Amino acid sequence: MNGKVITIIAIIMILFSTGVTLGLYQINFQGLGNLTNYSKTPAYSLVGTRLYENGTLFLQVARTAGPDTYGGFIVLVQLLYPNGTVLYQWTGQQLGILPSSSIKNEFPLHPSKPIKIGNYGVGIEVPLGQNSTVILQLPHPISPGTYIIKVWDADGQSAAYGNKFQIIVKVDS
Amino acid sequence: MAQVAVEETQKFLPILRITLGFMFFSAFVRRAINVPAKLDPNSSAYVGGKLITFLPHAWAPIKGMLESILLNPSLLYEFIILFTALEAIFGLFMILGFLTRLSGLVLAGLAWGIGLAAGWLGSTCVDEWQIAAVEGAAAFMFVFTGSRWFSIDYLLAKKSKGIRVGKYNIPLW
Repeated sequence: MNGKVITIIAIIMILFSTGVTLGLYQINFQGLGNLTNYSKTPAYSLVGTRLYENGTLFLQVARTAGPDTYGGFIVLVQLLYPNGTVLYQWTGQQLGILPSSSIKNEFPLHPSKPIKIGNYGVGIEVPLGQNSTVILQLPHPISPGTYIIKVWDADGQSAAYGNKFQIIVKVDS
Repeated sequence: MAQVAVEETQKFLPILRITLGFMFFSAFVRRAINVPAKLDPNSSAYVGGKLITFLPHAWAPIKGMLESILLNPSLLYEFIILFTALEAIFGLFMILGFLTRLSGLVLAGLAWGIGLAAGWLGSTCVDEWQIAAVEGAAAFMFVFTGSRWFSIDYLLAKKSKGIRVGKYNIPLW
């Protein structure tokens, strides 16, 4: 191959590999715009959560951010009226002593699970990427209407990256 | 046996080539020798579980593929074994400078592929993107430079310019 062809190939490949580098930066971190590193703080999505009139809550919790080497720990689940008043809440003590059968995991590896130390319940560990259904039961039926389900991480946060760890649910009659 | 002229630049390529190859080959060593439990599906150390942590912000077009692999344990195991074998074989080839151009192409594919799945992870910095981008570009460079010194390819080049297909020489080294 002559020198001119080599030069053209080299320029094309420089542009290609640089494009891959910058493309990966943009895809993974929005690095060329609003840089965001989702590995810094745990975050949860509650999309798919359902609440029934008999007081059964199917809390659908997906861990969507935070360090990959360590779990996120949900230490409080709240059922709120639309104005933010607490109707009922499950503390870490209650969550940590749930039977394992109360948690259904989408993926068999790295399951979410209740965490307790002796008889002291800590909360629910949710590994990064896992998507779990936590079945919780209110001690009483609930009136039809609209409610908010909210969870808190062990770091005391209920929001990260501009998203709240909460969802509006509707109880039908 | 024909003499092969070695360009000055070629003599410095092994500085990068050997380290680059070891980055991939050492992944195989960690899983197969240092911590064999990483390849045991029944172990909590099983590396298959790592793929779950990629899910939340993996590039959308491959997220579905990751999910289907994770929901099929036997396919997941085969995928892990295949990936580890490719890292072992072509990592070692890169260290030895054997079929360097072909090895560079395969390793660039592996590095950039990981970058699309796990590139968003990085609890210290933007770690996985940095690894994927640098390893990918470095491996891709060897597709075009080969490594014609301090390498097995140096010996191969004395015998042939490449695999002959019709009137073309395909330079795998």
